[in-house]
Order: sequence, then structure tokens, then C-alpha cells
Amino acid sequence: MSDWLLKVDDLSVRFSGSKGVTHAVDGVSFEVSPGETLALVGETGCGKSVTARAIMRLVPEPPGIYESGSILLRSSDGSTVDIALADQDDVRRIRGDRISLIFQDPGKALNPSLTIGRQVAEVFGEHRLGMIFEAAGLDASKAGRVPRRIVQQRAGVVSKTGYGIIHRSAARRLRRAVDDAVAGALAETGIPNPRKIMSSYPHELSGGMKQRVMIAQALACDPDLLIADEPTTALDVTIQARILELIGEMQERRRMAIIYITHDLSLVREFTHRVAVMYAGRIVETGPSLDVLANPQHPYTQGLLASIPRSGTARGQLSAIPGSVPQLISPPPQCHFAERCPWAAPVCHKLSPVLTEIEPGRAVSCWRFHRNDLVADEMPEPASEWVTQG
Amino acid sequence: MTAHATLGPMSSADDGNIVMALKDVVVHYPVKEGVLQRVVDFVRAVDGVSLTIPRGQTLGLVGESGCGKTTLGKVIAGLVPATSGEIWFNVTRQDLDELDRLQRSVPGELSKVERERLGQLQSKHRLGGMAKEAHRRYRRNCQVVFQDAFASLNPRQLVRDIVGRPLRVYHEVSGKDLDRQVVDLLDQVGLGAQHLLRYPHQFSGGQRQRISIARALALNPEFIVLDEPTSALDVSVQAQILNLLADLQKERNLTYLFITHDLGVVQHMADTIAVMYLGRIAETGPTAAVFNDPLHPYTRVLRESNPSLDGDSDRDDGWRLSGAVPSPVDPPRGCRLHPRCPVAADECGWQIDDVLHHLEEYNPGLFDSIGRVDRRDDFSAKVDMTSPEQACQLRDAVTELPAHAALAEPIHVDGSVVQMTFKPVSDVEVMEVRPGRLTSCVRAQQTGMSPSIAARPEIKSTEGMSHASNSDT
Repeated sequence: MSDWLLKVDDLSVRFSGSKGVTHAVDGVSFEVSPGETLALVGETGCGKSVTARAIMRLVPEPPGIYESGSILLRSSDGSTVDIALADQDDVRRIRGDRISLIFQDPGKALNPSLTIGRQVAEVFGEHRLGMIFEAAGLDASKAGRVPRRIVQQRAGVVSKTGYGIIHRSAARRLRRAVDDAVAGALAETGIPNPRKIMSSYPHELSGGMKQRVMIAQALACDPDLLIADEPTTALDVTIQARILELIGEMQERRRMAIIYITHDLSLVREFTHRVAVMYAGRIVETGPSLDVLANPQHPYTQGLLASIPRSGTARGQLSAIPGSVPQLISPPPQCHFAERCPWAAPVCHKLSPVLTEIEPGRAVSCWRFHRNDLVADEMPEPASEWVTQG
Repeated sequence: MTAHATLGPMSSADDGNIVMALKDVVVHYPVKEGVLQRVVDFVRAVDGVSLTIPRGQTLGLVGESGCGKTTLGKVIAGLVPATSGEIWFNVTRQDLDELDRLQRSVPGELSKVERERLGQLQSKHRLGGMAKEAHRRYRRNCQVVFQDAFASLNPRQLVRDIVGRPLRVYHEVSGKDLDRQVVDLLDQVGLGAQHLLRYPHQFSGGQRQRISIARALALNPEFIVLDEPTSALDVSVQAQILNLLADLQKERNLTYLFITHDLGVVQHMADTIAVMYLGRIAETGPTAAVFNDPLHPYTRVLRESNPSLDGDSDRDDGWRLSGAVPSPVDPPRGCRLHPRCPVAADECGWQIDDVLHHLEEYNPGLFDSIGRVDRRDDFSAKVDMTSPEQACQLRDAVTELPAHAALAEPIHVDGSVVQMTFKPVSDVEVMEVRPGRLTSCVRAQQTGMSPSIAARPEIKSTEGMSHASNSDT
């Protein structure tokens, strides 16, 4: 695809700790186009959240290390920025403006001591000063420090001393402009009575409402890319359905790209276009969501799908993947899934496979798909189907 | 009395032996206020639940957060005392029928033999009324596995102590034998002797849940309350634990109460399911029947909201709830779902509060102009508005609500005072609609079928203003 918006190439993120270096993300590459939803799926500790945070440069350094790779973000004029190399000021301008993040637990992501209105206003204070001044009928280029700070003050930055210096009516207009912008952003996410919500604190709202506030905050500046990190895991199914619908609607309206991080494969089917399955810091399979779910090729994807309880499976007959996720501290250069794989061959324990395209748009990282003489005679036929435990 | 309508297929191996029977169980938590911590109100966490669980079966308890399912599990396990209602343990169906008869008759009219029989049943089987020895036996036989395996294991104890503690408390074994038995238990849950001398933090989430299960199994119980045992786990690990639980059940003829919010899991594990909403049972019945043909709108909404891997095509998008869960301190009268229900009709129990909540959410301007609400009861009130015009606006707003059809008499506007009276309804009870199928939906009780969204009353089509169908499009 040539019209990508974000291109992550061979990204590796490591964490150094007392026990060694953890290879949290290990050579991950993918692209997202405008208007597309990419799902990053995997179990706990597979590196999906670190990948998302790495895209926004939110991995703390140290202990995090951006070992290799590039994160290219393309602007509408065709120029690209490499977020992995950009300096902090540039990254700050991108965050919240061009790339936004929705976190898993809205209860923890919102500041409990600020009203909702102030928290959402923070985004406008940070990225949309000009727009606010315009709405208040002031000239942004002539505005001094005090009005600027008033806009940000709605975000809770400055004390009230600034008011005396500029004209009272101007200050009032500014505040009203901020409030209008915030109310508009909240109303767009389907929050009834936004003015009332603006003056309430996070603990006064339900989980679904908090997640709506998070979405309003994330989408306030019309980002090109939204990273949703398990946005509905903490919510009930009925609310989850509404939130996903809302995100879908917003995407359609703004043609933004979404990276949707989840562990729930059933969501992938209904809400995403493409999926990248991660295991132990690497992408093991990628392709269009429906294809991957209907016809998984990597043994891990197959195992993961088989372990979801469905109406047809008899009780106690779920095929569980034996064993558990390997330690990622200085892992050996081999297929990380080899220990749990029913098809593991000698080569799997010696070398890491790479993502190989098996058909246009679909790639699998498994030795079975390497058209390579080196391994051809070593690869056995599938030893057994998924062993049912118990 | 519908409390003992059989759950589950009658033809199953059910020999009339019921491990757990709940009769109208109520748990109210006090809400305290002020310096003196005066009790001002109650959170109605569980508000009149009747269930029976036959031996060897799994009852799945489903519901969203805050519906009282965990509290119900705690009551059954004896961790929280019930405010009222009875919990009977290990009784036969004959015993229950006899109890029903004895409790229904006037105490003075019972013969001496009957009184003795009642006392005997109570001291042997009723939680709270049990003799000391019976209660001890009850606690052995009823174990719990909690959701958060890390929080429920003492971080300072070794696995040997954690799993061995129930055995020591009940003086089952000691010394070398204890270790042997613990290893045996660990073996049953898929762990080994090498794990004996480790601390909980050295295990992964799935392994910790296995330790919890081993501890619950230590005393060879008959009944286990599983409170969301897999919701903190990844799917592949969840599959391992679910298989383990199913195997153990088969081996030991265990009875499970499986509390969860995951419909896929409950569909897989449970023989019968009970759907809870706001402290009450919405629907119970055999799992497959409830899923294929829900008799309560809430069950239907849950099913439609649950994303599925297989992609069912007949998904109907009209099935969704509007608004937020009402406060359990002051739950709606009539059917508890009616303010949010997509198919609510006039008989579902509309009241003054529904109108006020709706105004607050969708018409804040009008809501602010309400001066005083002079209630006669939940269904009738005089509302003082600041001006006669606003009184007319209020009348017009109510006319557009689905609640309008439930008005007992037309809205009376006198100057700035609006008088509204809705038809009073009593709280709905769970009723058996078909054999083994119980629902608390008033409309399903009348017709014996789930109300369909297409055939809902005309008034619902006033989109945008109607509370119950606000987010329908």
C-alpha cells in the first residue's frame, strides 16, 4: 500500500532491568492507511500495548530503549516525520493533535481532582489556541501571554491573577469560547446534557460515560490516527457495543485511522479491517480480519481461536494451548512459539522465522511457509491436530 | 409461589436432590450519613431472589456490573448475611414442598409433629438456623473461588500453607500426610510437587487460579461458588481453567454456581442460567433455550450486544438499552428495566421519577425550571413550575414520552402547577411462562412470548424525545 498514514518498520523496544534486557517489542512492522482500522491482537505481555505507546513515544527512557526501527507519520502535504527520532517538542505537537490515545481504564486515565470540563479544555489549550481566540473574536497573533494563559487556565494551569490585566469582557469571551468548544466535543460523543457533565468530576460518572469523555478528549483535535488500547475491556457488554459503535461513527465521519488494541478476537471480526496477531513481542500473522479469523494459518492464531468457548463445543472440550507464554528476558533466537507448537520442527528451535507473504495482503511468520530449501526437508507434516487437554 | 419451579431439564439425572435453594433472598446494604452515621437508606443489592440448584449441575449467573451477582454469591457462601429470605442447603424436592406447606400455614395451627419437623429441617438445612455441627459441615461443603486470584491468596504464605490450610483447620491430616495430600491436590489442578514451596507472586495468573481451585477442592466440597474465575485471564489460559473445572465437576459430581459477565463462557459452562438485573432475576431457564429464545428484553439485549466470532446474520440493531443503570438505592417500580427497555409498554410501571430523570437528561432547561415536586406517592405528584408557559411545556414534553400511555388521568395544568397521575403498579414477580422458563417481563408473562420490537406501541415512534428509545437510531 502506498497511501499509508503511519508506517512502523522493524520497531524494537527493550527494557533493561536487573534480570536482563526484556525484548518487549521485537522487529514489528506494519502500516495503517487513512480510514482503516487495524487490530493488534494478543494476550497479556505480547507487547501490543508497548507498541502503541512506542508510537506516541510514551515508553519511558530509561528503562525503555528504542533499539531499532522507524515510526513514520505522513502529513497531508506528503512530508513524513520519524517519531522515533523526533525531538520532544515535535512529539508533543503530534500527541493529542495528530495521534490520540484512548486508554483501557477510563477511571484511571482521568484526573480525579479536575472537573471533566477542565480536562477536555486542556487539549484545546495545548493544540487549538488559535481556534479559541478566533471564536472569542480576538486576534491570536496579537494576544499576549495573559489571554493565552486564560485559555490554558481552563485547563487548570494558571491562577486567577491574570484577569485584572486584560479586559474583563475579553476574558469572559475567551472562557465562553473554551466552554463552547468543550461542550461541542462532548456532545459529539453522544453525551446528553454536556454542560452538566463539564462541571462534574470523574467519580460522578459511570464507566461508559467516562469512556465517552475520554473519546471526546482524544478526538477534540480531529486526529489522523486514534490508538485505542482496549477501550472497552473495563465496560459491560451493552455499553461496550455503544462505545464501539461511537468509535466507528466518528471514524466514518472523519476518515481517521484506528489502531485497535485488544485481546478479544470476537471484537476484531466486527470492528476492524485488518488484524495483526502478536505473540511474545512479534507479529506472527497479519491479514484482512475476516480472512484471518476464518482461515488462520499460524499455529498460535489457530490455537487462540480454538480456545474461545463457542456454542458448539462440548463442555470440557475446549482446545487450550498447552504451556504458557515464554519469558522475554534475553530470549534465544528461535520461534518463540516453538515450545507450545504441535508442528514444531528442529529448525523452529534454531532460527526465528520472518513474516512471509502467503497471499496478497496476508503474511505469516512460521517456518512452514518458508519456501526455502534450507528447511524444506526438515519440516515435518503436522504431527497432530490441536491436542485437547483433559 | 413460583420459587421452586424446576430449573433445568426435568428428565436429567436430577433425583430431586437440591444442593442449594434460595427463597426470596434479600441483601440490603445500609447507606449511612452524617456524624452519627445514621442509616438513611438502603442499597438494594439483592432484592428478592429465588433459585434452586440441583446436584451435579452448573447454574450460570449472568449480569452486568452492579446487578448484585457477586453479592448473591457471597450470601450463598455465607460471607454476607442475608437481610431476609432463606437459604436451604442439601434438601430434597419433597423437603422443599413440605417446607412450603408448613411455612404457608398459620403457626398456631401446626400440630406438634409438624412443628418438630419444621424445627428439624431448619436446624439441619437452613443457613443461619443450622445447628453448630451442621453449619460446620455446610462451610466445608461450600467453597468459593474468587475473581482475582492474586488478591485472594496470602502473599506471605507458601502454596503448601495456602492449599493445606483448610485441611489443617478441619484436622484432616497433618505433617507428612498433609504435604502428600497437598501435592495430590496440586496434581489434580495441573500443578506439581515442585510448586509446593513457592509464593503466590512466583506464579502466572492462570497458575494462581489453579491454586485457588486446589484450595477450594481441599475439603472435597459438594458445592463451589465460582465468582468470575476466568475474567482476569487470557483466552488460552481461560480455556485451560474451564476444561479443568469441567473435568473436576465430572469426576467429583460437583455443583457449581458460575458467576460471570461473559456470555460465551456461561453458554459453554452452564446447564441453566439466571440473568440478573438490578438485584432481581430477569430470566431463568435452560442455557440453550434462554440463548436461542430469550423471554426477557434484557437477555435479548445482552445477546445482541455480545460480539460473536461466527457472525450471526439475524442481528437486530433495535435491541439496545438507553440511558444508564438506575441507582439500586431507589430502583424503578414495576419492571426494573422499563426506563431503559426498548419494548416497554404502558403496563411496565411508569412513575414520576421516570419523567424527571428524562427531563434532567434530555431537557435540562425545563428541568431547571421545576420549582417543587409535591409527591403523593411514586406514581402521582404535583409539579410546581416557575411559570404557566413552562407548565404547558412540561405537559407537552410528557405527552411525547412512552410513559404518557400509562397516565391514569389526563395531565391537569392549573396555572403553573402540573398534576400527573400514573397508574400504580406493583413490583413484578418472576413467573413461569413455559415449563422451566421463568421471566419477570410483564409483557412476556401476558403473551408467553418475548415482546418483539416491531410490534411495540405506536407512541415509541416519536424518536428523539422518547426516553426508552432515545438511542434507537
